[in-house]
Amino acid sequence: MSYVLEANDLTKQFHKERILNRVQFQLKKGEVLSIVGPSGSGKTTLLRTLAGLEKPTEGTLSMSGHDITEKKANERSIGLVFQQPLLFPHMTVEENIRYGAKFARSSKKDSVTDLLSAIELSDYRGYYPAEISGGQQQRVALARAIATEPDVILFDEPFSSLDPKLRHDLRIWLREFLAERSITSIFVTHDTEEAMLMGDRVGVFHEGTFQQIDRPEVLYKEPANAFVARFIGGHFVLSEHEYIPLSNCSVTTNAYETGRRYMATIQHITFQHGQTIAHMSMEDLNKTTTLPVAGAEVGQTVWLSFPDEQICAFGGRAV
Amino acid sequence: MKWSSNKSWLLFLPAVLFLILPLYGLAAAISQSFQQQGEWTLSAYQQLFQSDRFLSAVGFSLEVAFLSSLLSLLIGLLFTRSFYPYLASHTPRLIVWMPMLFPHFVWGYMVILLLSETGVLAQVFTLLGGDDFPTLTQDSRGIGIILTYVWKEVPFVILMLLPVYATIKPEYYDLVKTLGGGAWSQFKQVEWPHLLPVMIETFLIVFAFTISAYEVPALLGTTFPEMLSVLSYNWFYGSSWDDRSLAFAAMVLLSLFILILTFIGYIYMNKKRFRMMKGKS
Repeated sequence: MSYVLEANDLTKQFHKERILNRVQFQLKKGEVLSIVGPSGSGKTTLLRTLAGLEKPTEGTLSMSGHDITEKKANERSIGLVFQQPLLFPHMTVEENIRYGAKFARSSKKDSVTDLLSAIELSDYRGYYPAEISGGQQQRVALARAIATEPDVILFDEPFSSLDPKLRHDLRIWLREFLAERSITSIFVTHDTEEAMLMGDRVGVFHEGTFQQIDRPEVLYKEPANAFVARFIGGHFVLSEHEYIPLSNCSVTTNAYETGRRYMATIQHITFQHGQTIAHMSMEDLNKTTTLPVAGAEVGQTVWLSFPDEQICAFGGRAV
Repeated sequence: MKWSSNKSWLLFLPAVLFLILPLYGLAAAISQSFQQQGEWTLSAYQQLFQSDRFLSAVGFSLEVAFLSSLLSLLIGLLFTRSFYPYLASHTPRLIVWMPMLFPHFVWGYMVILLLSETGVLAQVFTLLGGDDFPTLTQDSRGIGIILTYVWKEVPFVILMLLPVYATIKPEYYDLVKTLGGGAWSQFKQVEWPHLLPVMIETFLIVFAFTISAYEVPALLGTTFPEMLSVLSYNWFYGSSWDDRSLAFAAMVLLSLFILILTFIGYIYMNKKRFRMMKGKS
């Protein structure tokens, strides 16, 4: 099967430091892959390498079966939406999009008008970037990238500079926008919630490589390793080999009769989705965890109990 | 705060005081250009427009000033664009700006020492067997004057353009590449809109200086055609008292021309800058 985008053993080394380490993945037509990982994990370098802004040290990259490893950025059919909108300040909204359309392979007269209407900014076509909001600017940047009619669009944390409310609204808007048009894309973020919302599959990226690429529910239910479990959250990692989903843990003031139990002290309390969340430290394990605990009080000592039959091994195997 | 908003006009006072002298000079020049033997008249201006000497001086001055400014801008732009990453460090920047430390007449002397028919280059040329060294100084085409100005003004152009390049976000270059553009698109869309207002500003400064400065054309020019500044100086300090009003009229016309040029440039620049910063509103 020929994938729209396929990376094989993609490696990037700056001096002696290996930023990308034999990265391997495939992307089907219309699929959205979210890449999530901590800062400095190499996500942006991966996007820049895919876009052709960095040359890989080793490995190959192909689009629809054609090797594009040696192609320059302006010769690849890959668009990139940056963290900042980077609109040309001397051009109007319409001119910015038209500038992208200039490089499109097929030129449709009404494509710019269509795009303006798709991003819901038809009334702002004559406005300059300084006259519209950050969210509107980011939508124009997206329309400009789409106007070039690329086979794949890469998003490099496009909403990171926006406020949480706008960010939430734009995520939903973009998800629907990409789905309606079957646009193949890669969405990079450091926010796990955003990654799960945006991607058909989510790739957890760490130390220059994918730790796991799967559907969001698989990532959650069957984390491949301790890093994925910790990063995705919702699990208590007992060791590098085993974990227990936090939903299977119970918090009591008395020790659970069977299974493992650990003493914890409630250090902070927050409130989320109508629940009281206790932030606890377990001195025996030198770990902290967060769980909903009804009637929790700061300073209170509780017991966390892990039933033996609920403890899982990484990779979806039963212990 | 209240004091500063109520008395903000006081902040203009130093500038107004500073401008009193040149403004008095301009007013006096205008007034004297319209007077001859104590009577008000337009005769100085009439004589100017009938004078072949004046008209050729205008043509020659415009040509020399335009070429000097344009060449300085182009060379300065090419130099800044090619080397701005290196010019970020202290020593290369100082070396480039070194010519600005010398007064124009010193630079003019240096050009004579180097490029005149008896200068260093001519001697080397003869030693190498050459027998007809071209006339590069005190020539009728103003080559010596243009060379001196270009040499002297290129560092000034670099000084003006370097901050522009320092403020351009490098991500814009990547953006143009990912949209499908090449090097020309990068220059046209990323650099040019930022460069244009500063280039106009720099052109106006260099042009206004080169068209009206005296020392360099006096040192490196000929008696015909002569630059407007040299002609006015000769009229002003000449034996005939009547020529003084001609000198004033010539300088008034030159000042008016520069003011109109600056005003047009200022309006155009501000429109561009305002749109980039605030939009149309």
